[in-house]
Amino acid sequence: MENKLMVKLVVGTEAMFFLALIMAYIYFSLLPGFTSRQADHLDIRSTAIFSAFLFSSSFTFWRAETNFKKGKMTRLKGWLLLTLALGLVFLVGQGTEYARLLKENVSISSSLFGTSFFTLTGFHGLHVLVGLVVISIVTTLTFMGDYDRSSSSVFGTVGIYWHFVDIVWLFVFSIVYVLPHLHKITT
Amino acid sequence: MPDLFLLNISASSIFDAASPEAASIRQLTFEFIIAASAVLLLVVILTSYITVKYRSKHRHEDPKQITGNRALEIWMVSVPLALVILFLFRSLATMNAILPDRGNHTPDIIITGHQWFWEASYPGTTVTTANEIHLPTGKRILMLLNAADVIHDWWVPALGPKMDMIPGMNNYLWLTINQPGIYDGACSEFCGQQHAWMRIRVIAQLQPDYERWLSEQTTNTHIPQDTMAKAGAILFLESTCSSCHRLKGTAAAGITGPDLTHFGSRQTMLTGMMANDSGNVARWLSDPQAVKPGAHMPRFIFAKDSIRALTAYLEQLK
Amino acid sequence: MSDINFIPEPEEPIPSLSVSNNQGILQWISSVDHKQIGIMYLWLSVLFLVIAGIEILLVRLQLAIPNNHFLAPEVYNQLFTMHGTTMIFFVAMPAIFGFTTYLVPLMIGANDMAFPRLNAFSFWTTFFGGSLLYFSFLAGGAPDAGWFNYAPLNEYNYSSSPGIDYYCSGLLFAGIGTLTASVNFIVTILHYRVLPMSLKQLPLFVWMILINSFLVLAAFPSLNAALAMLLLDRQLHAHFFSAAGGGSAILWQHLFWLFGHPEVYIVILPIFGIFSEVFPVFSRKPIFGYGMVVGSGVAIALLAFGVWIHHMFATGLGNTVNSFFAASSLLIGIPTGVKIFNWLATMHGGAIRFSVSMLFAIAFLIEFTIGGLSGISFAIVPIDWQLTDTYYVVAHLHFVFIGGTLFGLLSGLFYWFPKMSGRLPDPRLSKWFFWLFVAGFNITFLVQHALGAMGMPRRVYTYPDLPGWGILNLISTIGAFLMAGSVGLLVFILVRAIKKGAVASPDAWDANTLEWTTSSPPGLKNFDRVIPVKSTRPFRDYKRPEDADWNRPEGARKHEGKYIPQNNPHGK
Repeated sequence: MENKLMVKLVVGTEAMFFLALIMAYIYFSLLPGFTSRQADHLDIRSTAIFSAFLFSSSFTFWRAETNFKKGKMTRLKGWLLLTLALGLVFLVGQGTEYARLLKENVSISSSLFGTSFFTLTGFHGLHVLVGLVVISIVTTLTFMGDYDRSSSSVFGTVGIYWHFVDIVWLFVFSIVYVLPHLHKITT
Repeated sequence: MPDLFLLNISASSIFDAASPEAASIRQLTFEFIIAASAVLLLVVILTSYITVKYRSKHRHEDPKQITGNRALEIWMVSVPLALVILFLFRSLATMNAILPDRGNHTPDIIITGHQWFWEASYPGTTVTTANEIHLPTGKRILMLLNAADVIHDWWVPALGPKMDMIPGMNNYLWLTINQPGIYDGACSEFCGQQHAWMRIRVIAQLQPDYERWLSEQTTNTHIPQDTMAKAGAILFLESTCSSCHRLKGTAAAGITGPDLTHFGSRQTMLTGMMANDSGNVARWLSDPQAVKPGAHMPRFIFAKDSIRALTAYLEQLK
Repeated sequence: MSDINFIPEPEEPIPSLSVSNNQGILQWISSVDHKQIGIMYLWLSVLFLVIAGIEILLVRLQLAIPNNHFLAPEVYNQLFTMHGTTMIFFVAMPAIFGFTTYLVPLMIGANDMAFPRLNAFSFWTTFFGGSLLYFSFLAGGAPDAGWFNYAPLNEYNYSSSPGIDYYCSGLLFAGIGTLTASVNFIVTILHYRVLPMSLKQLPLFVWMILINSFLVLAAFPSLNAALAMLLLDRQLHAHFFSAAGGGSAILWQHLFWLFGHPEVYIVILPIFGIFSEVFPVFSRKPIFGYGMVVGSGVAIALLAFGVWIHHMFATGLGNTVNSFFAASSLLIGIPTGVKIFNWLATMHGGAIRFSVSMLFAIAFLIEFTIGGLSGISFAIVPIDWQLTDTYYVVAHLHFVFIGGTLFGLLSGLFYWFPKMSGRLPDPRLSKWFFWLFVAGFNITFLVQHALGAMGMPRRVYTYPDLPGWGILNLISTIGAFLMAGSVGLLVFILVRAIKKGAVASPDAWDANTLEWTTSSPPGLKNFDRVIPVKSTRPFRDYKRPEDADWNRPEGARKHEGKYIPQNNPHGK
């Protein structure tokens, strides 16, 4: 119980952190010239694809958790590995996007758009990375047989964090990619 | 060591209100002081009375155990609430009187904060000056305030509210000065090493005097008369002085430092740090960092003669 | 489900305040015991109090006379910046967290925090953050843009020494420590209370900590985000706060004060908790209006997020925005002011004992009222337009931080010192300390109200010799040295008491709450058994069963009066 409460509190305070970053992003995006630059440089299609990988990793982790509760250890291991793979694809996707932008001379110091884009998505990426490290530790321990009894709260707590990272991306993706794209289509 | 140049200042406290804006704040401040004193007095009396009357006399006595009193609790909330609502309405009214909507008025003066001097320019004229800010009395003027580097803040207590000067933003302030005089103020937002010596001197003049001053300021730099000053003029243009300072009508057109076209007509120098006399100018020119550490004027190695010549020239720029 | 017994069972009592035991300092460094970590927090706070005190004495020396050349402006600016930053983040916060870590488990009948190792992590992260901040002096210059560090003065162009980078990283570390500690407090309070202790029976100190911890979780992320952005600006040339690169200087102020104003309440709410313990004990009466004290605490916490603009009334946001925040700022004065009357009513009809702890509490009522009232004047926007960023603000904030926070911490120190050390401080010297400190404090800061109204801006390294300025500043400097002298006396009193003070009884003050049922100092395992908890004053009920709170009509519900085994925490 107390472990879950702890993670919920941590996630709550992290949410406030992302709220501050998102507010700063929106604040700057209202300045003239920001939105057009944003729509010009970002490729919503490729990002939507690797976002889908991240969103589905939430589903796979949820499957892992249910199987753990039922004591089905083999399935648990399978879903955990799948979650890791999906998360990794997301990070690789984000990495290639960064590489492309840097090649186009969009960097954190190049413009206000670069500043706010790289900060917001970078902090999110960092959280995905932390989540993947934690999940890979948990996976290793599962393979070593540490969770053979179903009393551990670890999958529940890691799950809260992992779903949170997904939800944050839902907001970031909508604000950074979808809204300016819609704006571009309508104008 | 009281500096003589400070003695002719008319006022510098928030209670020396010299404008209707400052007067209405002073009125509100008095009302607040009365209310606050009453509350403080109540707390002091209650505290003293209770601590004296109910001090423990025996070692183990237990008084009646009271945990609350609903009626008293309601009073405790509603009386302060009433006071607070009263002051909210008073302050809204005062705010709107002091700082009404600017509409489409154009500013009468633009003041830009720099590390560490004030640049003042007068729209509709070619006048640009620094630090000693001349304003007309008896007329409602709109000031535009902004900053060139970091945040500064315009504050002349006798003239009313302060206003931040923020790079990339334009702020406005209304001001009506009642009487001619010299009003002292200071930068009121920490702006770096020499924040302390970013004093403001507002010189308020009757309309005709002000007009006269303004037309004097539109003239170009005076041509030096004696040989010493002539040498100074040549030095000014040949050394790098001219890349930061402007002398209107000459080749010196720098804008990073204060405009020196009529430097000699100012009473103080270095943003109110000291009286404007040849001794101080010479000291400043020989080693700026010793006089005002951190100031953006670098040290030039001048010969003694050159300093004397430059000083003579600058002091003639009336 | 017995996953709370991580702590090894004690063989012998733990060392209390002195380090002279067989394992020496190592025993402290490796400790995960909440009492030892609490004491380390308190020593950390005393250490930084002395450092930040010396910094401000140098500043006051510089200001003693007009046109003084004692300190160069760049040194002066580093000193006042470090003074403010240290006092807020490394004196007030660790002191509050020290009391919290030490007392919360004891007051709720638990044997340790929910996460003892996380507790140690929180302390050491804070310690590391403070060390990092001070390392800046060796690395080329301390931060010099004031404790709220406004943009763009905090940018590389205007402050090129690495000081502000250390400010960012030091405060980030300390901020993480603060967040983890608050998570720990909440989980401990919600899950580790001894069995029938309901939330309605929580000691008020614990209530305030619970509210406060939520406040921390909501407020600190804003600071952390701002610090991260500033580091990116300075290290990777991002453009968040530099107007030249298209960024916004005012954004820093929004983010900072969105944290900063709640922070002001973060360092006062626990103090309200301390006083809500001290007043009842030394008046021998229950707190007047328990529900109201809790309710106003919650109201303050909620309103705290809607008042940050009152730090920015002079930034030109317009009358509409300013009006809204004037209203909310005036409103937050009410729940704060009401508490003063709660405590007065608590004393009324009581039997007041003038211990040093109570003396600080009584003095607080008046000093904090002064600080609160001068605070109200900043909610009245036109007055704020005159007085913000002057010495009047300096006076106001010190009346709140010293007359409020520090008086509360000192009151708490004299109240709980016998519990923590098992010793009593010398009562005569302690009273001397009280009077010297209160006198020094008032001499220092009362005159600063006048200086502000006379036109003296804050943070100036020197000032012209205008009429009255010199003498008022000199008085202020003399007061500051009086305060410093009395703090020296305090350290002497404490060290002497630890070494050879009179032995304190376990229940030194005839108190009400569970921490006083243990030995003084408590053993490594706080409780074997806990007395029954049926009201907010379980220990008093136990000592005076004929007059127990729960037995009176307004008392709490009835329970069987038996000892409750400790290994059955609440909510399991």
